[in-house]
Amino acid sequence: MKIPQLALEPARRTARNIAGAVLGLTLAGGLAVAAVAPAAQASPSSDSTLRVEADTAFSTFNPFLAYFDADLNVIGNIYPTLTTLNQQGVAEPYLATSWTNSANKLTWTFKIRSGLNWSDGVPITAGDAAWTFNLIMHNSTAATANGALVGNFASVTAPNATTLVITTKQPEANMLYVSDPITGIPIVPEHIWTKEVSNLGNFKNMTFPVVGYGPWIATGYVTNQYATLTANKSFFMGAPKFHTLIMQYFSNGDAAVAALRSGQISEIDDLTATQYEALKSNKDIQLVPSVSNGWTAIELNPGAQTQSGKHFGNGNPALQDPRVRDAIEMAINKQELVTKIWDGLAVAGAGYLPPAYPQFQWTPPASGSLAYDPAKANALLTSAGYKMGPNGIRIDPKTHQPVVLRLGIHSDETSDAQMAPYLQEWLHAIGIGVDVQSMSFNELNAELPKGDWDMLSDGWGTGPDPTYLLSIQTCGDLPTSTTAAGNTDAFFCNKSYDNLFSQQSTEFAPAQREQTIDQMQQILYQNAVDVVLYYPDNLGAVRTTDAKDFFYGKPNAQGFYPQQNLFINWSSATPLASADASSSSSAAVWIVIAIVVVAALAGAAIVIRRRSTATERE
Amino acid sequence: MFSTAAPLSPQELVALESPPTGGGSGGRDFLSYLARKLAAAVVSFGGLLVVGFVIFSLMPSDPVAALTRGHVTSAKQMAFLIKQLGLNQPVWERFGHFVTNTLTGNLGYSWQFQTPVSTLIAQRLWPTLLLMGSSTIVSVFLGMWLGIRSGWRPGSLLDRTSTGAAITLWSVPTFWLGIILLVVFSTGLGPIPSLFPAGGMSTPGTAGGLTPAHVLDIARHLVLPCLTLVLVIFAQYQMIMRSSMIDEQGNAYLLTAKAKGLRDDDVRRKHVVPNALLPSVTLIFLQVGGMISGAITVETVYSWPGLGYLTYQALQIPDLPLLEGTFIVFSASVIIFNLLADLVYRYLDPRVRRA
Repeated sequence: MKIPQLALEPARRTARNIAGAVLGLTLAGGLAVAAVAPAAQASPSSDSTLRVEADTAFSTFNPFLAYFDADLNVIGNIYPTLTTLNQQGVAEPYLATSWTNSANKLTWTFKIRSGLNWSDGVPITAGDAAWTFNLIMHNSTAATANGALVGNFASVTAPNATTLVITTKQPEANMLYVSDPITGIPIVPEHIWTKEVSNLGNFKNMTFPVVGYGPWIATGYVTNQYATLTANKSFFMGAPKFHTLIMQYFSNGDAAVAALRSGQISEIDDLTATQYEALKSNKDIQLVPSVSNGWTAIELNPGAQTQSGKHFGNGNPALQDPRVRDAIEMAINKQELVTKIWDGLAVAGAGYLPPAYPQFQWTPPASGSLAYDPAKANALLTSAGYKMGPNGIRIDPKTHQPVVLRLGIHSDETSDAQMAPYLQEWLHAIGIGVDVQSMSFNELNAELPKGDWDMLSDGWGTGPDPTYLLSIQTCGDLPTSTTAAGNTDAFFCNKSYDNLFSQQSTEFAPAQREQTIDQMQQILYQNAVDVVLYYPDNLGAVRTTDAKDFFYGKPNAQGFYPQQNLFINWSSATPLASADASSSSSAAVWIVIAIVVVAALAGAAIVIRRRSTATERE
Repeated sequence: MFSTAAPLSPQELVALESPPTGGGSGGRDFLSYLARKLAAAVVSFGGLLVVGFVIFSLMPSDPVAALTRGHVTSAKQMAFLIKQLGLNQPVWERFGHFVTNTLTGNLGYSWQFQTPVSTLIAQRLWPTLLLMGSSTIVSVFLGMWLGIRSGWRPGSLLDRTSTGAAITLWSVPTFWLGIILLVVFSTGLGPIPSLFPAGGMSTPGTAGGLTPAHVLDIARHLVLPCLTLVLVIFAQYQMIMRSSMIDEQGNAYLLTAKAKGLRDDDVRRKHVVPNALLPSVTLIFLQVGGMISGAITVETVYSWPGLGYLTYQALQIPDLPLLEGTFIVFSASVIIFNLLADLVYRYLDPRVRRA
């Protein structure tokens, strides 16, 4: 019988030879690369390059469209702003040297610094600032990222090259935070951007070097990997100490930590508590926990409603009772969450605004405190008519149903998964059942505006001006219809709170404004719609062999540094001579290993070859 | 399988001896076969257009909230974004645009990258092909080499060790294996120094281009992600090849070949391996077809800037045009390679020609 042959003999033999060659070459090549390449790697310190982790992937360097942190961090360092923030988070002169406000508080006049030039040599004038603000005010595409910041602007003009006049519709107490680095509106060169207006939505601003002005100049970007900035040696506040700054994005936090450990990057932040603890033993790394500018909370659904008061969603009606919400707040041992989940690297939650900005820090008064007290929580529910059912779950007196609440947590947040069992246990102790539902960030986001939830894990952060964070609790941020997504955080609506919100936005005396904001925090606390669990520290780390003076400030009594600002960090970081002598030795080690492995492979091949012909020889 | 095939009749043997194409009847057969396969491919593509749209439209999401999260955003801005992204359109209208755009070669515009989806895919294609191509080549040759030898002598030491290792590695979660390799070979562990980069495709700050240093640098970045993929996927080639080899060993033609005095090695190489190759060919084509989609987990672990990582980024928002665009390209690639596999089968396996 003829045996079907699949290919001609020479062809098969050739294929087999090629296969062997490819396999052998690949294996040998990989080893050779391992052996040789470390020597080819650029030394991190020899070219005075600061390598840091980018917080997110890069998308665009167009300041009118940018949303992601990595883009904003670049943009905030390559374009000027009217003010900058000092180490205490207070606005100071940058492009504006001084400013005045009219008697009716509606007209701001900024004196613009003279003698500065864009990186292409064209002078920076007040006209550039006026043009930037006007574009955002009158062009929907230009308003994509920062439209809300000019929502109260009536007009912006530049009577001359050094004067900028901004007129607002209502007095605006936070005007000095409208244009500050990274979180505010960057000012762009009119002579460059006027050509891009017609195509603004598609313009990524990635032609290098980007014409701008700031401590850094954007000089390169490799798709989805890293951005390169070069120091502006003529920056009037003082040139950065490093010559080059590279921001590299890692899609995996553990990979970024590995890169820090091995010296591939010099700085990282947003570490988890576990990563932070693991780095403690590394003598070349300085760990810097800085006070939090954000919080993690559990939102309690007080009843989803539209601005016109139409109720919707299937939130548990028991949560519409403020006594139930207060009892939940009192049932949670926040300090234990800080200890067990964050290893003490967080502060137990209380007021709505995080501790990064001491001027807005509010502590609940002893009289109205909802601190951890399960006995008091139980007594409150009993007195409110929630009788204990047979299985330890209370019965809602209105619906006659057991009080079992859904708890939506982020499936991609380790701390959420750790926190959920504690909440289950503590709420069960006061007779409330908890059904934990793990959802992706997107799923949880999608559920929120529908009102189909009882309790959701929530997290927010803020810059030094808390206006936006306060605004998401106003009635005005409720959705206009049951299908429209409003900006509301948890469907909270309280007229007293709204009045105070309007009041604080027109209060120019800091102490007075802080007092008003304290009252707003008091209202939020009493209503317990956002049960703030903790303020997790921002856990940063820097290689002490590569840079010094990256982080600033001194740790407080708890060991936490002040809130950090990348605009300051990147400029103040100073290069150090790196002990990078390990390259050649590691290369030598791996050349030896490569030789051994290749020899072993060759030996194995010979043995197999001999075995394959054993039958014939026998 | 070959081992279960009935002995061929003299007429069938004659048919096998005749060339696969060229004759009038053969040509017509081929055209008819090609038409059937093309029609099936077109139907599959139409189906995937519907499935792709429906899956991503049903996915619970609020892209505007995800894009603007943590950013000071007014209701007016959000309304503008909803309109700009087309989220205010009814689903059927969005589906109509989607189908029309796809059929005219327009894959849409990414919401998060503010770039045409086709441009994004083109940018990420080369890194993915490099990673998936290199790992597939190594996996195929390593897996088949081990499969041939372990299947030829089942129960031997090589068979037991290589099969055990392959099954263990196949069972390991890719993400976990990637992290372990990262910790060992990038961070360094014990006496093992830091050898390979933790992420990316090139060392930041080094010059690009086709210089030897840059090529070496890319190769160095390629080692860990490629190794992770190889360790996980070579098992499938090995196990299928091993199984085919064992199946073949019961056939009478082996005895005939041995009786002719052929060496063991020659019997295996010239007679058994070719007959045992078909299932592996199927697998290779499937793998090559799916290659373009990259490896989401490996590319994410190692921040490899390929299409798998792009898909992961799209899922985070979710960036629906990007998800739909990548889904179409990936699925079309699988369909095309399946079609090619069907055509190649006709040449590799005479029974397919007769079917």
